[in-house]
Amino acid sequence: MRSLFRKGFKFALLLAMLTAVQVAHAEVVVIVSARSSVASLTDEQTAKIFLGKVTTFPNGQPAYPIDQPQGNAIRDEFYSKVTHKDSSQVAAYWAKIIFTGEGRPPKLIIGDKAVVKIIADNPSAIGYVDRSALNRTVRVVLEP
Amino acid sequence: MPKKYCLALFFSVTAGIPVAEADQNDSLAANNAVSVVTDQKMFEFGGYGTLGATHSSVSSADYVLDAPMPSGAGRSGYWSPSDNSKIAAHLNATFTPSVTAIFQVISEYNSNGNYRPEIEWFNVKYAVSPDFFVRVGRFALPTFLDSDNHDVGYSYTWTHPPIDLYQQMPITSVDGVNLSYRFALGEAVNSIKAIFGQNTSETAMGVITSKNMRGIFDNIEYGQTTVHIGYQQRSSSTRSDLAGIAGEWIPTSDISAGVNYDPGNWFFKSEWLQDRSAYKTGAMYVSAGYRVKKFTPYLTHSQSSAASPYLSTASAQEFANRSQRTNSAGVRWDFMKNFDFKMQYDRITLGDNSNGYLVNVQNSAALFGTTFHVISAVVDFVF
Repeated sequence: MRSLFRKGFKFALLLAMLTAVQVAHAEVVVIVSARSSVASLTDEQTAKIFLGKVTTFPNGQPAYPIDQPQGNAIRDEFYSKVTHKDSSQVAAYWAKIIFTGEGRPPKLIIGDKAVVKIIADNPSAIGYVDRSALNRTVRVVLEP
Repeated sequence: MPKKYCLALFFSVTAGIPVAEADQNDSLAANNAVSVVTDQKMFEFGGYGTLGATHSSVSSADYVLDAPMPSGAGRSGYWSPSDNSKIAAHLNATFTPSVTAIFQVISEYNSNGNYRPEIEWFNVKYAVSPDFFVRVGRFALPTFLDSDNHDVGYSYTWTHPPIDLYQQMPITSVDGVNLSYRFALGEAVNSIKAIFGQNTSETAMGVITSKNMRGIFDNIEYGQTTVHIGYQQRSSSTRSDLAGIAGEWIPTSDISAGVNYDPGNWFFKSEWLQDRSAYKTGAMYVSAGYRVKKFTPYLTHSQSSAASPYLSTASAQEFANRSQRTNSAGVRWDFMKNFDFKMQYDRITLGDNSNGYLVNVQNSAALFGTTFHVISAVVDFVF
């Protein structure tokens, strides 16, 4: 009985750890280069940049958003938290913009590592990655 | 022909202008890194389309969604595929960061009763700055919130923008010049568009030619709210003598206003138009929907008012009077990536002395004031 309890406890602990790992996995952060002068952004400011409504940061510096491909979990989390749109709402939004020649969606880069690398090298770039991909070359400007 | 030369000239002039580098990094590595972020492919190809079927309960007239359609659901068929079905190919060309062009061809049921592809948009855009551009060619007349994208079913919730309002303006494009300027207004983003040009539209009622088209349109986006206001003028002429005003250039002006509130899991949208030509008409709609995961059920009420003052001849009055009221209920289902499925029910009541937007009416006065029902189902896609 006691060993059964211990087993149950171990199982619960394992489950809790797994859940913790999953929670950690689903934590999107918005980043700029460590060399950028941008310190922090609001949801609204970030949404405007990624939806192509502005082309600069609030300080007037040019902003080049970096997107991750459709179907990517971190992308879905980013858009649902920051723009309150799910993947099909974002796709519908861009269908309106692209097919009228009003603009084009952000540049696509595949994978958190590649996004971090490109953003580190570009003071004008802004992107989003999972917290686990962070390093000292980039700065978090929004934790949505 | 002169327009073609104009475009060529525009190309050669603007293509020669050197574009300032986005960043003044001196190291080659940094420049390469910047170009990774800023470079765009020169040519991008895409498209969109809709497959649909529509049924109307009136068998003595055809229900159509767009003015140029010569036949639709009802008299010409129990179910009609022509009301909604279309496919378009779109080419986006980026010659330099500031000189871009779009070319879009669409195949949809047209005034000749076939699906022969036609040029929807063809224009060259020169961006003086990221927020100020000039466009020359054929572009959308931005009367309404969804004027530019009225053919892109995937971009909106309904099976089709409410026809009581959108049909009130049969002209959807301009051949001419478009200036657009965007600026921040506190937390809001304000875009002003000015258009100048002309248009020839084939409609089921005949060809409408418009010249001296000029308009100013303002779009304000603040948080989840978008407000759209427009004023436009033109001289229009029709070869059709139904209106009793054929051949004359009729000065026409339109005021339009719209609002869209979309915080994410629901939306509210409403638009209004007043049109003054030989007579005065108006139209509006209100629509709201709620998103439940991949499903968006919605309700819409729309109406167009009778023409006033009463016109001199019965045929002119019938031509001008499109009054009808519509109550619609529908649902959009985003069933897979880049596809949606929608179903919509419309209950339409025609006004007194009005056949609404019905065409091929068998016995004109017979339908005045009656109520009929329309069911449509569509699959929209983008690629």
